[in-house]
Amino acid sequence: MDDLLAIARTCSDQAELYSIEQTEDTIVFEDSKLHDIKSTIQSGITIRLIKDRKLGFAYSRNLRDKKSLVDSALASLKGGVEAKFDFPMSRGFPQLDTYDDKISETTNTMVVDECLRISSLLQEKTNAQIYIDAAKKTSRTKIMNSTGAHLSTNMSSYLIMPQILFPGSATGIYRSFVFKTFQRLDDQCLNDLAEMYNRGQREMKTAGGKMKVLFMPESMYAFIWRLQSATSGESIFHRQSPLAGKLGERIFSEKLTITDDALDDSKPGARPFDDEGVPCRKHVLVEKGVLRNYYYDLNYAAQMNAEPTGHGFKTTRWGGDTLSVKPAPVTKYLTIEPGKQDFGQLIKSMDRGIIVCGALGAHSGNIPNGDFSIGLSPGLYVDKGEIVGRIKEAMIAGNIYEVMKRVVGIEGKSYPAYTGYYPAVLFDDISVASRS
Amino acid sequence: MSKNLKSALEKVRAEYADIRYEKKSETKIVFNGEDLTEIGSNTTDGYVIRILNKGGYSSVAFTDFQDHEKAIHSALENAHLMSSHAKQPVVFATTTALKEDYKPRLNGDPRDITIDEKTQLTRKYNSLAMQNPKVATTNISYIEMIREKHFLSTEGSEINEELITTRISGLITSRNGNLIQNVRAAVGGSNGFAILKNREDVFENKTRIAVDLLKAEPITGGCCNAIVNQSLGGVFTHEAFGHFSEADIIENNRSMREKMQIGARLGSEIVNITDDPTLTDQLGHYKYDDEGIAACRTFLLKNGVLVGRLHSRRTSAAYGEPVNGHCVAEDYRYAPIIRMGTIFMEPGKETFEELLDKLGNGFYILDAKGGQTSGENFTFGAQYGYVVNKGKIGKMVRDINISGNLYATLKNIEAIGADLKLSEVGGCGKGQANIRSCYGTPHLIINDLIIGGK
Repeated sequence: MDDLLAIARTCSDQAELYSIEQTEDTIVFEDSKLHDIKSTIQSGITIRLIKDRKLGFAYSRNLRDKKSLVDSALASLKGGVEAKFDFPMSRGFPQLDTYDDKISETTNTMVVDECLRISSLLQEKTNAQIYIDAAKKTSRTKIMNSTGAHLSTNMSSYLIMPQILFPGSATGIYRSFVFKTFQRLDDQCLNDLAEMYNRGQREMKTAGGKMKVLFMPESMYAFIWRLQSATSGESIFHRQSPLAGKLGERIFSEKLTITDDALDDSKPGARPFDDEGVPCRKHVLVEKGVLRNYYYDLNYAAQMNAEPTGHGFKTTRWGGDTLSVKPAPVTKYLTIEPGKQDFGQLIKSMDRGIIVCGALGAHSGNIPNGDFSIGLSPGLYVDKGEIVGRIKEAMIAGNIYEVMKRVVGIEGKSYPAYTGYYPAVLFDDISVASRS
Repeated sequence: MSKNLKSALEKVRAEYADIRYEKKSETKIVFNGEDLTEIGSNTTDGYVIRILNKGGYSSVAFTDFQDHEKAIHSALENAHLMSSHAKQPVVFATTTALKEDYKPRLNGDPRDITIDEKTQLTRKYNSLAMQNPKVATTNISYIEMIREKHFLSTEGSEINEELITTRISGLITSRNGNLIQNVRAAVGGSNGFAILKNREDVFENKTRIAVDLLKAEPITGGCCNAIVNQSLGGVFTHEAFGHFSEADIIENNRSMREKMQIGARLGSEIVNITDDPTLTDQLGHYKYDDEGIAACRTFLLKNGVLVGRLHSRRTSAAYGEPVNGHCVAEDYRYAPIIRMGTIFMEPGKETFEELLDKLGNGFYILDAKGGQTSGENFTFGAQYGYVVNKGKIGKMVRDINISGNLYATLKNIEAIGADLKLSEVGGCGKGQANIRSCYGTPHLIINDLIIGGK
């Protein structure tokens, strides 16, 4: 990388290199049987150049010819994309515990044996079809720039997601567990999943109308996506956020505090710096219902005359290649602060309502406006404080800026889920449409 | 390249192996509002090796050829692990080895067009939206993806194929006070650059709809009958039915497999659904899949009865059904999985006006805004719609999401128009993205849909 940076510096005012090396083993169990094992060994490098306040960008998976990568970035620079920022000089990052050496001793045989154990336990308790996805990953990210930044971080993770399938469905009761290396899952958490499945076995219909709805951690992303969209510096700059100009205003229930904290290395994947070499931080978006901050990468911070917040990450939402995209403002470490109630208490406080165990079609609809309209995938039905079955066909709809003001209670524990770590959250008065 | 691939395959001690090398060139030009925010062309490449041995199957994707021995070792080890746990050994359906170089017929090769011309065209379409004062912003991009694929197998297949995809597409966002609305506009295809030219009407029309949505009322939730347009009907066909005609989705799901048996009546007698990657001028076109199998026109539903499904070599053997060349990968980063090519509902005879008369009261709902399926249940969003009263189109409505049950909805298709239209851009995310996913129907009347609303 040093050679490449030296070449890049000779033909630009500023240069930045980003490289990633990744390995991944994925193991899939379907109907309690080992179905697939696949692996990846991949690497890549990107370059950004600034010259005469114009920005060039290029990437490669195989750096056979350093000069040609620099030439691609120079060709891109001629397009005239304005560079309104400088690459940062970053030093003095905290040492985070992000890599567990034991990952290298974790064999696929160990993971397969654990999947077999989980399958057997869940099947014995439910007599249902058990599906499990497991993956172990390692990565090494490096960032260098002409300002002197020379950063590197390693990451290891082990993910396992057991799912108990409802008949006639491709979904069921599931939960993700993420660690820095292989860990045997606790039997109690598997027993809890099985109990929930068993209570939801009876198919039911609801008359619809407005009722209490409990969002499980696994379905909270349907709301969080809309908040992410509205608090991104990109949305603020492009006038597509309903939260523009509302810092300090109360937008949600005072029970809700939502924070992005990449430095929390008690969880896997913590990062001292983002994909632009900007220090990450604990960043409160919503504090007791009050909007506190937006989040920025280098570009949109400069456009908005704000401080970069360490949220410039290379991500894609629907597949695609992260190497091929430039950093953009992204929150990857969101948490909703747990409340004080246990899960059972939350259910008992529902006279009649629905538990959203999975959201179907959360990406549809008007995300910038905060509107949601989702199918249940699946949804459990609660009557007089007890789970009595599951709803097959229903949709729930609303707008997060109305619904998230009506928080009844929050579970006292959070779980890893898509986009962050969340507890279950109970909302009041949500519209449910169904075929009764 | 072929020499490298052959030398790698020769090192595999297994009953079967194949290797795919891909070079992917991407040109991207992005406008956010008035600003050009990204421009450039880049090329990446990589390999996928797949091994089948003693009933165990595994794959490894790698980007550096120097890692090929490590990749072969991992794949063999994982195939052995699969084999030692297999209750039923993995078998590949037998096929004939093929040798061919295939390049699609193009109307204007995008490689012959300068990046300045591509930028100018994208800027023009973006400006059509941005010049409207009610438009808050846009995100309009030109994306060109050229994949050069080289496939070799130990059975003797050697296939080279090019896939060329171009599109200008994105979001137009309108705003009035705190109310924000957006619609998608897109032109594109897999048959060259010409399809992108002279398409101002698409961007002008979508800009007008984005602005009109600011005055539309939110739809009221509940059950209703509706006419859905070709785009929305296409998403229903793709999401609700198509994914369950992919054999890998239901392979081990006992209850779904029982319902999706060949010969089962799933829909009303007027419904015929086909998947056909061989339609050369359509977005979903390819000649060979990523297992080296020639793509076939595959009838899925005939007069409402299930007559076929989409297969890989693995599922074809497991189901005892013929291969049809539907196992494709997003790119060199993935082993192939079963995907639709061009899926469509065959046209009926009724005109749009006749459909309106037949509907009477209900909604006319247009243009897909994402969809998802889970078992027999599906949900998809629509960009906009209209109230229909006594066969007349009335006021515009917004915030439309539809939910339903696959089997009930297939039976609730009351009428099919004559105006089949296929999508120009795709984007299916079944673990991997498929930007060439192509779908469409004529206008349809569907009864008893659930609409989510406030």
